[in-house]
Amino acid sequence: MDNNRQGAKASYVALVFFIGLWLILPSAVRRFNREAFAEFQAPALHLVGKGRDLARYWELKSRSPEELVAASRDLARINAALELKLHSLDDARKENIRLREMLRYPQSTEFVTVVARVSIRETSSWWQRIVIRKGRSDGIRPGCPVVFGDRVIGRVSTVHLTTSEVDLVTSPGFRCTAFLEGDDQYHVVHVSGRAGLSLSAPRAVVSIIPLEYNPPAGQIAKVMTTGLGGVFPSGLTLGTLEAGVQSTAEKHMQTGALTPAKELNFIQEVSVLIPKYPTAGEILLTPAGKPEEFR
Amino acid sequence: MKDVDGQNPSAPSDPISAWRLRAIFLLFSAGFIYVAVGLGYRQLIQNDALNDQSENQSRRVVIRPPSRGKIFDRNGYVLVDNRVRWSVKADLLALQPEFRKEYLDLLNKEKARFPDRRPDYDQLQQTARLNVLNAWLTKIWFVIDSTNQKAAKGSAKVKSTPNLHPEERMVHPDALRKHLNERRALKFPLILDLAFPNSGHAVTPEEGNRAVARFIEQFPVHGPITLEADMVRSYPNGKLAAHVLGYVRDSDILKGQLDDVVESEFVNFQKLGYTGKKGADGIEATYNEVLSGRSGWELWTKTSSGYNKDLLKFSAPIQGANVALSLDTKIQKAAEEALAKIVDSQGKPLPAAAVMLDVNTGEILALASQPSFDPNEMADRVTQIYFDQVNADGGWLNRATQGLYAPGSTFKLITATAGLRANKIDWDDILDCGPSYMVGGRAFPEHDPVGYGQVDLEKMLAVSCNVWNYQVGLRTGPESLAKEARRFGLDAPLLRKPSEHDNHSTTELPNPATRMVIPDRAYKQRVAGEPWTDGDTANTSIGQGYLLTTPLHMACLIASIARGETRTTPSIIHDPGRDGRHAGAEPIGLTTPQLNALREGMVRCVEEGTAKIVRIPGLPYAAKTGTSEYFKKGEKAHLAWIVGYAPADNPVVAFCVLVEGQLDTSTWGGKTAGPVARDMILSWRSAADEK
Amino acid sequence: MSLSWAWLFLLLATFPWLLGVDLLSDAMAASGVCLFVSGAAIIAPCRRLRRWQAVLFSACVGFLFESLRPIPDGSLALLLVFIAIYLTSHRDEIRDMPKMFGAAVVVNALGCSAWFIAAGLAHTADVPLLSLHFLGQWLLHLLLATILAVLLLVPLTLVQNFAMDRVGVPQPDEAV
Repeated sequence: MDNNRQGAKASYVALVFFIGLWLILPSAVRRFNREAFAEFQAPALHLVGKGRDLARYWELKSRSPEELVAASRDLARINAALELKLHSLDDARKENIRLREMLRYPQSTEFVTVVARVSIRETSSWWQRIVIRKGRSDGIRPGCPVVFGDRVIGRVSTVHLTTSEVDLVTSPGFRCTAFLEGDDQYHVVHVSGRAGLSLSAPRAVVSIIPLEYNPPAGQIAKVMTTGLGGVFPSGLTLGTLEAGVQSTAEKHMQTGALTPAKELNFIQEVSVLIPKYPTAGEILLTPAGKPEEFR
Repeated sequence: MKDVDGQNPSAPSDPISAWRLRAIFLLFSAGFIYVAVGLGYRQLIQNDALNDQSENQSRRVVIRPPSRGKIFDRNGYVLVDNRVRWSVKADLLALQPEFRKEYLDLLNKEKARFPDRRPDYDQLQQTARLNVLNAWLTKIWFVIDSTNQKAAKGSAKVKSTPNLHPEERMVHPDALRKHLNERRALKFPLILDLAFPNSGHAVTPEEGNRAVARFIEQFPVHGPITLEADMVRSYPNGKLAAHVLGYVRDSDILKGQLDDVVESEFVNFQKLGYTGKKGADGIEATYNEVLSGRSGWELWTKTSSGYNKDLLKFSAPIQGANVALSLDTKIQKAAEEALAKIVDSQGKPLPAAAVMLDVNTGEILALASQPSFDPNEMADRVTQIYFDQVNADGGWLNRATQGLYAPGSTFKLITATAGLRANKIDWDDILDCGPSYMVGGRAFPEHDPVGYGQVDLEKMLAVSCNVWNYQVGLRTGPESLAKEARRFGLDAPLLRKPSEHDNHSTTELPNPATRMVIPDRAYKQRVAGEPWTDGDTANTSIGQGYLLTTPLHMACLIASIARGETRTTPSIIHDPGRDGRHAGAEPIGLTTPQLNALREGMVRCVEEGTAKIVRIPGLPYAAKTGTSEYFKKGEKAHLAWIVGYAPADNPVVAFCVLVEGQLDTSTWGGKTAGPVARDMILSWRSAADEK
Repeated sequence: MSLSWAWLFLLLATFPWLLGVDLLSDAMAASGVCLFVSGAAIIAPCRRLRRWQAVLFSACVGFLFESLRPIPDGSLALLLVFIAIYLTSHRDEIRDMPKMFGAAVVVNALGCSAWFIAAGLAHTADVPLLSLHFLGQWLLHLLLATILAVLLLVPLTLVQNFAMDRVGVPQPDEAV
């Protein structure tokens, strides 16, 4: 036992030494360590996701043929309606490009869409994120916007080889600009995730709302992306502004709570919008990226 | 004591060394007691005081200026607002490690280059800070400037922000040094206003929003670079009513805006203030106390090197109160647009002023002065170039309240009233008016070379006959003329604040003219050292000579006549409770036919006389034009006047327009100033119809 | 399998439990609580593994928890390593089942606090760490960590002991 204690002392010294080393280690080493452990877990996370899909598959398999026929009929209708819309959208897109070229107006950011299944959710007071089953190998890059339909889910924060972590709109690391529905002046407001109370729905905060802004009477005001920041396309729904907008202590701006667009905790599938060309912020985050080279 | 070497055993106690020992012992004891007592005193008695002192040294109060109140027009339309300003700031405390690293790098390089020279450590430190901050600034600009389409084989050209000289996008060494000396504790502003990133270069609101959005969405959230939003003054209508509204300038002195906690509890603490704003002109200056609000404060702990560390408690600033002006934005806009159309041969707007009053309350509905300035240029980004440019144009002068001019033919209203009241003439008396009139051996001319023949009061006012006035003026005498002008308050100071307000500024607008001149015998003797002549009387009777007054005075005169009184107290502050009583006002003292003739003459002036060119079909109004001479650079030029009220039968508004003609312009009362009056009346009419 | 790889074998045996708890957190995502059992997972290995093996095992358990969450690197792993060194040199503290329960509760609570506070320090810009609200959150997480430690210790120990038996890790001194 005494021998054991003696050895323990040496171990403590070694630990202290290691902590010191850990602190001065280049961040690349720490990043590698983190990455290695994330990759170690990745197959399991994939399995979990696949397992969920399988469960869903068996659940669907157990449905009666009548139900499936009804569902397929509904889908066919939706399909037809969507195809019609798609056609008119194509025309609109062509017209848009023509007008932009005429006005010598920059093309709006173009995106490649990658659909990804959610494998696990990670929430706490300090963060709100999900892990999705697509990663670097699918072309996902940090900072890409993540959406579901026309609703914003969040932004990719970390990318691993086959999985990515997505900061949800309600996560403290998330921020973007938005317009409010019913604001004719198009004031730019600030949306940022806020660590929420446990056992309550996560929230985000809409700040810098001008005092003269009043939500449209009798309806819930939508909060929409501006498209000015070069990350999110314009007009996506971030959520709705909760009633009870409050003025700040100084009484010259207002702040309100944002209810996220999609029930973030039940989402199964998301689309990652990958900008065709890297954004400036992305280049800045790349360790090798020197802004001067991109001027 | 024992001898160590035993060489001298015969001297067991050397008396001298014992004495020395004792002395040393005593000395040490005294020293020890001094130290012990001193320590005890410090520990026990001075403890509290020392504690306080250390607390004072380790804490700091940061004063946060409040945002100013808004300024509205009489209909609640916002004239002066506050807008959100997004600034990018660097947390110098969080950047310390980066500074240190850069400093060591520089030091090593310096030592390698000049091994035998002692490096200038201060300079190296400063350079290190600048390098680090500039590197961050480069990154920020990179995020703001570049577009995602850079890499695209662009068919459409990308519109980039104006390409500035790189120096403008660097941290200015002096600014950093000043910040470190004076405000080390606060965050260092890298870009003061993201929406207007390039000082002095206008960007569109959309470009401004884009810069803000790009920074918010693309710049890393965590790190030493933060984004702060605060409020700055904005004048949404630009130059509109600039002379009334004024502008603000930086002020570090926020005295009188601190609450009692700061004054009493933190009396010994080091205090540090963000730069606030104070009014420098117009309402911003005269109602500064009302608009200012109350500063907030933050209590911080500070590090030994003087940076702020932790926020202990704070109190938010309180916004200043709003002020409602009597101006009507529509009329003001109409007046300024009409004034802007009056240009000289080079197309440059002539100096001019326009005033419109509410006849009953005396509230000023429009008060314009040309040339003007844009208060937005002064609100945040004061440039000496802009200041000098406005100064060269004479744009700082509020011509409506500060400009002194000879009233010209508009003064004939006073001459006529004086004559009527002194019974030297009656309203239906007819005088014979030839092409000139001999006074003291000199021919005083009529402005019509053939004369006007038989002229009564109404016709005189319609055609602005000079000879009629020479005759009446001479009959009435200079003292009566002067008395009448004073009775109408042509030399009385205007825009005094009601007594309850006058803490700092006693007037509603800054420095209204006080040196108006109504000449009499004593005046000429004093100024020129010569006796008064009949020629002086003739000159005065047509509003020339020594007479000096302001457009606002003339507007008040006409409002008084419209009401049949002598005085009108103008005010720029909107007060729905005004009762239409005016300080010092008394009935005009004319019989009804006389007053009617006076008014009818002014109506005929518009219908068939000198203001015929600006008559408004279907809206009869009363006016009197004037074209007086003044000397500009030693040569004669003309001042164009028009005063009047509308509508003719039930006066609601009174107006006065003045234009300073130049040497090369032909400037006439009706032709030059008239259109401004007409536009103001029309805009008043349409505003009144809307209500 | 060589005895020196026992820690890795044990990690593979423990991982499903950690993943299971993560899935449980996922199911409770709407409530915004993060369940934590990594502390309780190092108790049984510390009884039987050699010190260096226990240290490696604990570090891996810590890093696994950290890898998918925005926590400062090493804050949990290094704490678990410290605890592992302590426990392996004071094996009498975890000699019998009641003592193991006590240790599991304490270690799990410590680990939970470590990540909670470390994460809070990394987010001070967004939310003040010293507020009543977050004290409440912390206590809630502590409570859940304690309950989970008590509930999961027995099954965890059973599985881990089974794994160690399979690899041939000797029984702890006390049990001999």
